[in-house]
Amino acid sequence: MTVGWTRAVFVGCVTFVVLGLAYTVALGVLHR
Amino acid sequence: MSRSAGLRDGLRNNSLSLVFLTLCVLTIIGQAVSGTAQYNNDALTEGLQQVSVWQYLVSSDFAVDVAENWQSEYLQFLLFIVLTVWLVQRGSPESKELDKTGRESDEEQRVAEYSTDTSPAWARVRGWRLTLYSRSLGLAMALIFLGSWFAQSVAGRAAYNEQQLRQLQEPLPWLGYVGSADFWNRTTQNWQSEFLAVGSMAILAVYLRERGSPESKPVGAAHDETGAQG
Repeated sequence: MTVGWTRAVFVGCVTFVVLGLAYTVALGVLHR
Repeated sequence: MSRSAGLRDGLRNNSLSLVFLTLCVLTIIGQAVSGTAQYNNDALTEGLQQVSVWQYLVSSDFAVDVAENWQSEYLQFLLFIVLTVWLVQRGSPESKELDKTGRESDEEQRVAEYSTDTSPAWARVRGWRLTLYSRSLGLAMALIFLGSWFAQSVAGRAAYNEQQLRQLQEPLPWLGYVGSADFWNRTTQNWQSEFLAVGSMAILAVYLRERGSPESKPVGAAHDETGAQG
């Protein structure tokens, strides 16, 4: 049960960072 | 286990990550609000149009401010993780023991034939998977560092060029911006603070204690005891 939570937090954190990076790059490219 | 007990356990057992992620989201909201106010103050003096928080959130100014801070944090952890393999600090809980520098033996690292039933699958076999998995934490930090530094360069260039065009100055190509004073000023002002904080942490924890924290030695530990955690 708690291992499932830990995995979900890990995946959530990685997703947040990857989406954050993609978002900042996209803004930079769009405002070129 | 009841549903609410499961929820409580899940939150408690992951509270360190969850609290920091929540703080990150809350401070991004704070950054968006204060960033909008600052942008609008500048816009007022330059006779430009005011923007809403939502318009600021999709601006290159917001993007570069986020990315420049991300890259320096991940660089800090990358260097801390990798350099502590070889560098030591006598008396620091952040350091390994003085005679254990280097990648250590397979037995100490519990890999391949020294692995146990609970070892991760990629730690049990020799070959590229073990090599990759043995470096995965540093690699992840390095990838995020390089990704956010790249994001800083792209978004920073867009923000810089918007200002250049407003002042009827020539915009810069990407490579030109990467060599510019603006890019390196943003970069180095973040790096210096990270390096100071890590260095301070390593040396302050030799003589100072935080009872109960795994980042500190036990309160009664000797000053020259290295690598102990309380």
